[in-house]
Amino acid sequence: MSADSGKELRIVGFLCNWCSYGGADTAGVGRFQQPTDLRIIRVPCSGRVDPLFVLKSLVNGADGVLVSGCHPRDCHYSEGNYYARRRLEVLKRFLPVLGIDTRRFEYTWVSASEGQKWKTVVEKFTEGIHELGPAPVIDATMIAKAQILAATAL
Amino acid sequence: MQYLNELKEKIKENLPELDMVVGWEQGFDSLRASPLFMRTEDDVDKMIWGPLCVHNLATYLPSLKGKKVGVVVKGCDSRSVIQLLQEKLIKRDDIMVFGLPCTGVVSLRKIQDNLGSLDYIESTEVDGDSLNITVDGTNHAFKLEDVAANKCSRCQYHNALLSDVFIGDPITEEAEDEYTDVDEFEDMSLEDRMAFWVSNMSRCVSCYACRNACPMCVCRDHCVAQSRDPHWITQEDTVQNKWFFQMIHSMHLAGRCTECGECERACPVGLPLLLLKRKMNKEIKELFAYKAGTLIDAKTPLLSFKVEEDNINERGW
Amino acid sequence: MKIGVFVCHCGSNIAGTVDVVKVAEEARKLPDVAFASDTMYACSEPGQDGIINAIKDLDLDGVVVASCTPRMHEPTFRKTLERAGLNRYMFEMANIREHVSWVGKDKEANTKKALDLVAMAVAKLTQGKALISKKFDINKRVLVIGGGVAGIQAALDCADGGLDVILVEKTTSIGGKMSKLDKTFPTVDCSSCILGPKMVDVAQHPNITLYAASEVEKIDGYVGNYQVAITKKATYVDWDACTGCGLCMEKCPSKKSTDYFNEEVGTTTAINILFPQAIPKKASIDADFCIKLIKDKCGICAKVCPTNAIQYDQQDEIVTEPVGAIIVATGYDLFDYTKYGEYGGGRYPDVITSMQYERLLSASGPTGGHVKRPSDGKEPKTIVFIQCVGSRDKSIGRPYCSGFCCMYTAKQAILTKDHMPDSQSYVFYMDIRAPGKLYDEFIRRAMEEYGTQYVRGRVSMLYPKNGSLVVRGADTLLGKQVEIEADLVVLAVGAESAVGASKLAEKLRISYDNYGFYMESHPKLRPVETNTAGVFLAGSCQGPKDIPQSVGQGSAAAAKVLVLFSKDQLESDPQVSVVDIKRCVGCGKCIETCPFGAIEEIDFRGMTKSNVIETICQGCGICTSTCPQGAIQLQNFTDNQILAEVNVLCQQTLEKSFE
Repeated sequence: MSADSGKELRIVGFLCNWCSYGGADTAGVGRFQQPTDLRIIRVPCSGRVDPLFVLKSLVNGADGVLVSGCHPRDCHYSEGNYYARRRLEVLKRFLPVLGIDTRRFEYTWVSASEGQKWKTVVEKFTEGIHELGPAPVIDATMIAKAQILAATAL
Repeated sequence: MQYLNELKEKIKENLPELDMVVGWEQGFDSLRASPLFMRTEDDVDKMIWGPLCVHNLATYLPSLKGKKVGVVVKGCDSRSVIQLLQEKLIKRDDIMVFGLPCTGVVSLRKIQDNLGSLDYIESTEVDGDSLNITVDGTNHAFKLEDVAANKCSRCQYHNALLSDVFIGDPITEEAEDEYTDVDEFEDMSLEDRMAFWVSNMSRCVSCYACRNACPMCVCRDHCVAQSRDPHWITQEDTVQNKWFFQMIHSMHLAGRCTECGECERACPVGLPLLLLKRKMNKEIKELFAYKAGTLIDAKTPLLSFKVEEDNINERGW
Repeated sequence: MKIGVFVCHCGSNIAGTVDVVKVAEEARKLPDVAFASDTMYACSEPGQDGIINAIKDLDLDGVVVASCTPRMHEPTFRKTLERAGLNRYMFEMANIREHVSWVGKDKEANTKKALDLVAMAVAKLTQGKALISKKFDINKRVLVIGGGVAGIQAALDCADGGLDVILVEKTTSIGGKMSKLDKTFPTVDCSSCILGPKMVDVAQHPNITLYAASEVEKIDGYVGNYQVAITKKATYVDWDACTGCGLCMEKCPSKKSTDYFNEEVGTTTAINILFPQAIPKKASIDADFCIKLIKDKCGICAKVCPTNAIQYDQQDEIVTEPVGAIIVATGYDLFDYTKYGEYGGGRYPDVITSMQYERLLSASGPTGGHVKRPSDGKEPKTIVFIQCVGSRDKSIGRPYCSGFCCMYTAKQAILTKDHMPDSQSYVFYMDIRAPGKLYDEFIRRAMEEYGTQYVRGRVSMLYPKNGSLVVRGADTLLGKQVEIEADLVVLAVGAESAVGASKLAEKLRISYDNYGFYMESHPKLRPVETNTAGVFLAGSCQGPKDIPQSVGQGSAAAAKVLVLFSKDQLESDPQVSVVDIKRCVGCGKCIETCPFGAIEEIDFRGMTKSNVIETICQGCGICTSTCPQGAIQLQNFTDNQILAEVNVLCQQTLEKSFE
């Protein structure tokens, strides 16, 4: 299913100012058409992305979260994406224990010149999220269900 | 109560050079131990040692910074001391570690599950590997092994890893922890896992006992759970907020948690909080071949990096 | 808070696929928004006037402009705010052009997305606060590291511009690689004749302090106020007393010392002056060869020295120089060709590097300018030049072109013919790279006037035969194998980053690429700046460059320093991290992760706390995501500002149920 058709899902992007945000700009200048689900939050560096921003988004209704920074070795701040890489990889591997599909979170490296690559990333990620469908909503109904499920399991 | 006399002697010997030594004494009944802050020889005589000494006393060290403090540690507690030292949250010169070999501590929750209530304990006796509890005139005998904390059954650090004074004979360490509990949990469907947490977290009363008991939670009064700037957790009483706090705790402990299990022990509603941290540790171990609280000179993985990571693939699209 | 929202049409660029009127209408309903309208071109003069009038008329506290990327017009609108009397940081941009109108055609979806972005910007702004730049004094002295031609040019330009210059050179004389060259392309003028006067200018310039035989040990501080510790290495000669008469060199009995200047073609004495035109012209002792220093015997130089300058007990000395800016001109080193087995791996004496050949050609070289091959001192008749030795070869990790080898090979072929009219030169090449003024013409001259035979192909092996070397290679144009019996083989070794470049980079806190060349701030628009404020690059330390390029960069870097120093005070960017001293527990995790060393430990009423040195902080925010209790916050990208954006997008469902 193409991400363009059907209902939009909530996808949050955290992009570093120097590379990926520039890459997304480059994609725009090149008029590379993309699915419209993604909302981008600009941060100075992928190293600024506290994994808790991602978790906060996922717990509170994001269907997908994408983080993108400069390629390793190309960080504007020389080391930020190295820290980000470790933190985000740990985060990705942590998600399963929470019952969150790891495919709902991805991180990648896109430089300011890679407009075409950015389009590909957005397309692929959006498509993947649409395949997964909306994330489970934590509401009164779900809590009640979960409590019953837990009671019967024990 | 093996080694107790020798331990008391050593503490008394060193007490003059220390502001205090932290150990355990009997609490309000014979089953419950309580942390003991020894300043005099009389205090030392109140000390107890054994499977009832559940508390990780390393938790007190950061708040006693600046004083000369002795601390009595089990194997697992010693890892917290090492981690605190590694993060320079305490000073090596300021602390004196009295290390012991530990065969395991009890889980009060398991005993409670058996007895129904822990309200009228008359006497408690530890005899070898058995535990005799008299409640309301009736004697209940347990094998220690059956009521030991979960962390003890997979313990790889029976002996204090760091000690200035080691009392007793070291225990031979056993096989590697394979995190089978984490794997088993993850065998459940994603939906069931989330339901597990949602139902559990709906019982959370936001008392933050888990955080207060954690030896690595050094922010204390400045924890982001209760601050407005930054305002990570809103004032709403929601499952999301409570669950998110556990995620914060897990992320802040990534590569730092020594798995002492104090969070879970302290929880008044019995939430399985250590599972999250064990999952985090499992991934940290796989990614960085690193275990918190084993080496003072190591660097916490998330505060360092390698230009070429060994186990992280570059993400291509 | 009273926020004004301005939604830009950008002609039809945005309005074509976004219902801007609706976005403005909906934005008006957002909390804290006091005014919202659409505008044809927000960045145009009427557009900006509209913003200014709204700020003044409605007494707005902040402004959101929904238009193009902030990477384009953020500075423009910040100035607009300032003109209206608002703090420049009470401003946010919603990028509804590059990220919305240009990448999607569905007007309904675009409009929704644009509104989300506006709502995020508004939410972020409500958490923002006015930021004020601080002014600080600068020390108008400049450190130039490296005394090659780029460093010399930079030092002279800065000094002529009235700045105090500290020039640090690792070896005992400035001059660098250029001082070793015989002639330069494409003019074939004498290298030392054009460089020499510049070197003398350095020595005589009242504004330049030269530290030769010295290295930068440590750099502390920040733009405008660096403290540089320089190690003056022991030369065992009191340079204040030494007159450079050279008597010691004549008498020194240790005559087999390594002659670094002559690329080890021949030897020199243990006490020596690097070369006749050396600046400073002072003797120094090579401790590896001096009999007195090794065995405590000899001491002849001390006896003959007319000024008693010899000091066998001299020690390294560290001096500290305060400077405000740094120009790095550390140049390059040459590729070690012995990595290639096909060129003999260093076993054949008559296979030499282009720089060694340069010394053989030089009238001041070890052979007095007579080309004598190393094995038997005979004059070679057939000379083979092999290009791209250590350039454009992925297999040895040197995929880049060194840039200048094609040209110097042509020059050497021409000089060979000048020196020995009956000689014949061959050049094995991959492609000829001669993009410069008069460069291609120069190559053609080598071929046409000087009869150099150019063979397009690689050499597969060399082997000795009857006192000469057989060079076997492919001629890819003719499609056949060629074998040439050469008397001398000259390898055009490529450039690589200078030894120790990465170490120096770490001291300077600048980044370098995979090959150790320093990274410029922007490959096109900021070629001599680095991402560390106050540190500039000149010459080959940034990548291989020929002489005119290096000189150009030297001047460019000097111009950048002069621009920087044109003010008496600098303004710091207030988008830096700030520590909430009450919340800081002094765990030092931020200090550990800061890539710039911008965070220091301080004692605050007996407690350890972190403190950000505003002028060093570059605003990456790694510390903010490191600090568990959020006690250190990067201004304008605080946790609360980012959380505000997240909360617009992801709201707890229970909250919604109250609506």
